Amino acid sequence: MNTANIRNFSIIAHIDHGKSTLADRLLEYTGTLSSREMEDQVLDQMELERERGITIKAQSVRLDYKAKDGQMYMLNLIDTPGHVDFTYEVSRSLAACEGALLVVDAAQGIEAQTLANVYLALEHDLEIIPVINKIDLPSADPERVKQEIEDVIGLDTSDAVLASAKTGIGVEEILEAIVRKVPAPKGDANAPLRALIFDSHFDPYKGVIVYVRVMDGVIKPGMKIKMMATDKRFEVNEAGVFRPYLATVDELRPGQVGFFAASIKNVKDTRVGDTVTDGESSVTEPLPGYRKVTPMVYCGLYPVESSEYDTLRDALEKLQLNDASLVFEPETSVALGFGFRCGFLGLLHMDVIQERLEREYNLALITTAPNVIYMVHKTDGEVLRIDNPSHLPTPQEIEHIEEPYVKATIIVPNEFVGSVMELSQEKRGEYQDMKYLDTTRVMLTYHLPLSEIIYDYFDRLKSSTRGYASLDYELIGYKTSQLVKLDILLNGAPVDALSVIVHQDRAQYRGRLLAEKLRGIIPRQMFEIPIQAAIGNKVIARETVRAMRKDVLAKCYGGDITRKRKLLEKQKEGKKRMKQVGNVEVPQEAFMAILKMD
Amino acid sequence: MKLGVYIHIPFCRRKCLYCDFSSSADEIERYQESYITALSREITGRGGVLSGYTVDSVYFGGGTPTVLQAEALGKILARLSDYTSIEADVEITVEANPDTVDGEKLSALRMSGVNRISFGVQSFTDEVLKAAGRIHSAEGAKSAVWQANASGFDNVSLDLMYGLPKQSAASFRSGLNEALKLPVRHLSVYGLKVEDNTPFGKMAAEGRLVLPEEEEEDAMYQDAVRILPQRGFERYEISNYALPGYESRHNLKYWRYQPYLGLGVAAHSFMHNRRAANTRSLAQYLKLTEQEVLPVVEEERVSEGQAMAEFAFLALRTKAGLRYQDFNHCFGTDFLSHYGPVVETMTAKGAVIADTKGIRLTDRGMKYGNVVFAAFLPE
Repeated sequence: MNTANIRNFSIIAHIDHGKSTLADRLLEYTGTLSSREMEDQVLDQMELERERGITIKAQSVRLDYKAKDGQMYMLNLIDTPGHVDFTYEVSRSLAACEGALLVVDAAQGIEAQTLANVYLALEHDLEIIPVINKIDLPSADPERVKQEIEDVIGLDTSDAVLASAKTGIGVEEILEAIVRKVPAPKGDANAPLRALIFDSHFDPYKGVIVYVRVMDGVIKPGMKIKMMATDKRFEVNEAGVFRPYLATVDELRPGQVGFFAASIKNVKDTRVGDTVTDGESSVTEPLPGYRKVTPMVYCGLYPVESSEYDTLRDALEKLQLNDASLVFEPETSVALGFGFRCGFLGLLHMDVIQERLEREYNLALITTAPNVIYMVHKTDGEVLRIDNPSHLPTPQEIEHIEEPYVKATIIVPNEFVGSVMELSQEKRGEYQDMKYLDTTRVMLTYHLPLSEIIYDYFDRLKSSTRGYASLDYELIGYKTSQLVKLDILLNGAPVDALSVIVHQDRAQYRGRLLAEKLRGIIPRQMFEIPIQAAIGNKVIARETVRAMRKDVLAKCYGGDITRKRKLLEKQKEGKKRMKQVGNVEVPQEAFMAILKMD
Repeated sequence: MKLGVYIHIPFCRRKCLYCDFSSSADEIERYQESYITALSREITGRGGVLSGYTVDSVYFGGGTPTVLQAEALGKILARLSDYTSIEADVEITVEANPDTVDGEKLSALRMSGVNRISFGVQSFTDEVLKAAGRIHSAEGAKSAVWQANASGFDNVSLDLMYGLPKQSAASFRSGLNEALKLPVRHLSVYGLKVEDNTPFGKMAAEGRLVLPEEEEEDAMYQDAVRILPQRGFERYEISNYALPGYESRHNLKYWRYQPYLGLGVAAHSFMHNRRAANTRSLAQYLKLTEQEVLPVVEEERVSEGQAMAEFAFLALRTKAGLRYQDFNHCFGTDFLSHYGPVVETMTAKGAVIADTKGIRLTDRGMKYGNVVFAAFLPE
C-alpha cells in the first residue's frame, strides 16, 4: 500500500473515559474482527488488565478502512499504557504515531493523566483529534468539556467529534477524521533501515516479538539487523502486522507498524525506544528519545515457604522475559530468609507483578514496604545508592542523604483546593503553581518527595477529595533531606525487613503509629512480646503484645486421638502464613503495615 | 501384650450443658438391658483379638456408667474374662456422678471388681454446679466420696473444672481445698471448652453465655498448678494430678502410645497402628451388634508421619515427657534427626526442655500445649 494511505495513531484517555471500548468499536466497524470474534475489550489481553480496566502492555492493531473518498486506508492503532508508571513507554508509542485521539469523558472533563499525555503528544508534533465521549450520559456536558480543552490545552475543538463508544455514535466520524487530519507518514524506502521499537513480548517458539514502527528502509526476513543501543545483531526470520493476531507479511515498509522475530532470546536486547537498523548500516544517528528505563520503586519479595525460593526465581525470570523494566537480584534478610530485591517503574507496576506472581505461579509471597532509591553521601566521600533501608550506613558515616523528588500535577474541583494543599504541605510538598482550568476546576503543581507519593499520598488525595482529584507526576531529580532510619524491634531484636527510611520530623509519629499497628497485627503468643520503634539506639515508641490465653486440650475423649490430631492440624493450618522471626511469629501483612496506616 | 479396655456407657440422668460426649438422658430405662446384651455381643465379636492380650486396665466411661446396676457392670467384666485373661492387679475404673451412687451401690461395685472410682464433681459451689446443669450438690459430692471410701475404694479420683459460668478464682480455690480434705488420691482438673454442639455452644453463639474473664480463669489454672503439688499431688500430666503410685493406668496408655480397645457406642480403639471408632448412634449400635457385625464405622491407618507426631504430642502431655529411646525404638528412626528444628524452636520459645535422655514441656509449654503439639505434625 502507498505510504500516503497509511495513518498511525494512538488514543489518549484517562482511565474509565472509554478508551478500550472505543478501540473495540473501531475494530468492529472496520471489520477487523467479526462480531463473533469480538470479545469485549480485545486489546486489554491480560486478565488483570481487564479486571482493573487498565492497559499495562502496549498493543497494536492494523485496521483496513475504506473511507468515504473511496480509497482504502491502513490505520495502525497503537494502544498505550494509561498509567504514570509507564510514561516513558507512552512517549515511545506516541513517537511511533503521527496523530492521536484525545478521548475525554463528556461528564468528567480533563484529568491530570490525560493532560500529561496530551503534552507528550504535542511534544512529538502529533495531530490531535479531540473526541468527546459518553455523550449519551444524562450528565454529559460536551460544550463545557470542549471549552476546557480549548482553555487548558489550547486545541481547536470546533471539529471535535461527539461520540459514544458504548452505543457506536460517532465511530465513523472518528475514522474519517483520522484519514483526513492525521498526516501520512514520511519515509524513504531506499534509505538505510531505521525502525523504532515501542514494545515487545516473548514467544516461547519464536523468541522475542519486537513491535516496531519503520521510519526509513524496509524490514524483511533474511536481513541482518542491529539494535543501536545494545549493539546486538540478529537475522530477521519473520515480519508481520497485527490483525490483531500476528499475520506475516513479506516486508514492512516506511510508515508501517508491525513486528519482526529474529530468534532473540532476551527481551533486554530489544529495549523500548531503541532504533533497529540494518546489520552493516551506515546509520550513526539513532532515532531521538531513547533512554534506559530505570526502576523508581523497590521492595523485597520473599516466599512464605522458603522451599519456594527457586519457584519464585523462575517466575521472576519468566516475567522478565516480557518485561525488561522489571529488575531483581537475590538478597537475604535475617527476618525473611532468602528472597529478591525487585525494582519497578512504580506502584502499579509493582502491584501487577506481585499479583501475577501469586496468580500465575501460585506463590505465597511476603512483600516488604516499597521504597525509593536514596543517594547516600558518606563522610569519606563515597556515594551509595541505597535500595534497601536496612543497608543504610550508620548515622556517623553519613554526610547527607538525597531523595528523589517529583513534580506533581493535581487537578481537582476548587472546593477541595484547601484539602489538597494541606495534604501536600503535610507530605513535605513545595507549592509551585495554581491555575484555574475553568470556573470550577483547578490545577495545582507541587514538588514532592517520591517517597511520600508511594507511601500514601495518592490514597489520601483520593479520600480527601471524594475521589475527584487526579494526579500525575514526573521525576525532577534528587534533593537533600533530613532522613533517618526507623528500626522496629520485636522481642528486643531488630527486624531488618521492617526498617524504613523516614523524614526526621515524621519519625516519632511514624514510629508510634507503626508500633501500634504491629500490636494489632502480631497475634498473641506463648510469651509477652515487646514491640519497639527506634532510631539508632533511641527507642521512640513501645507497645506490648500480651501472652496468649491458655491453649491446651484437656480431655482425651475416651482415647479419640484422631479428633485431637485433627484439631491440631487445623491449628497448624492457620499458622502457615506466619513467618518465624527470631522467637516471634509474624503474619505476612506485618511487613506491609508501614504502608497502610490510616 | 497388655491391653486397656474402654467401655462406653452412653446414658445419663441429665446431660450437662457443656457435654458433647455420646450420651443420652432419656433412654436409660428403655435400652439398658439391650445395651448390655449388645456389649456382650461386641465382646464376643472381638474375642479373637482379645485372646491375644492380657488386660491390665478396664475403664467404664460415659455418659454415667453408674446409672446402670452394679450387676450389669459385673456381667460385662465376666464376659470380658471369657475371652481374655484379666491381670490380678488390674485397674478397673468407673466414672460416677455423685448423685447416682449410694453406699449399697458402691459396695456392689467394689464387690464386682471395680477398684477405682472417678467422680465427676466439677465444682464445690452449688451455684456453679447449677449453672452447668449438674444434678448433684457440693454436699452430695462430699458424701459420695466418703461413702466410696467407706465401701472399700482406696483409689478415688475427682474431676474438677475451671472457667465455668459463675465461677470465681476464689470459689475455685476453696473448691480445691474442699477436694483436698476428702479421701482422694487423684484429681483431674479441666478447663471448660465450649463445644459447638452443646447447650453452652448454642448459648455462646447467641451471646448468652457469661464466662469468667481471661485473667480470672488464668488465676484458677495457676492455683491448680501451684496448690495441688504443694499438697503432694504431682502433676503427672497436663490435666492430671495424683499422689505417688495413683496415676491412672488407663489414661497413661493413651499418652504412652499403648494399645486399647474401645467397646460400646462411640468408643475408640487403637491397635496395630490403626485407630477405629464405633458408631455414635445407639440405634445403629444395637442393630449392628444384633446382626453380629462389628459396630466400627471409621477406621484409619495412621501414617508414619502422623504416628510420630501423635507419639510425640501424647508423650509430651506427661511430666516424664518423651524419651528418645522409646521413640527411636517405636519408629526405628532417630527422634532428634527427625524433629531437631521443632525442638530447637520450641526450646528457644521456652516451651520445651531437652536433655540427653529426652524432652518435656516446661510450665509454659504445658499452658500452651497445643502450640507445641501442632508443631510436631507433618506438613
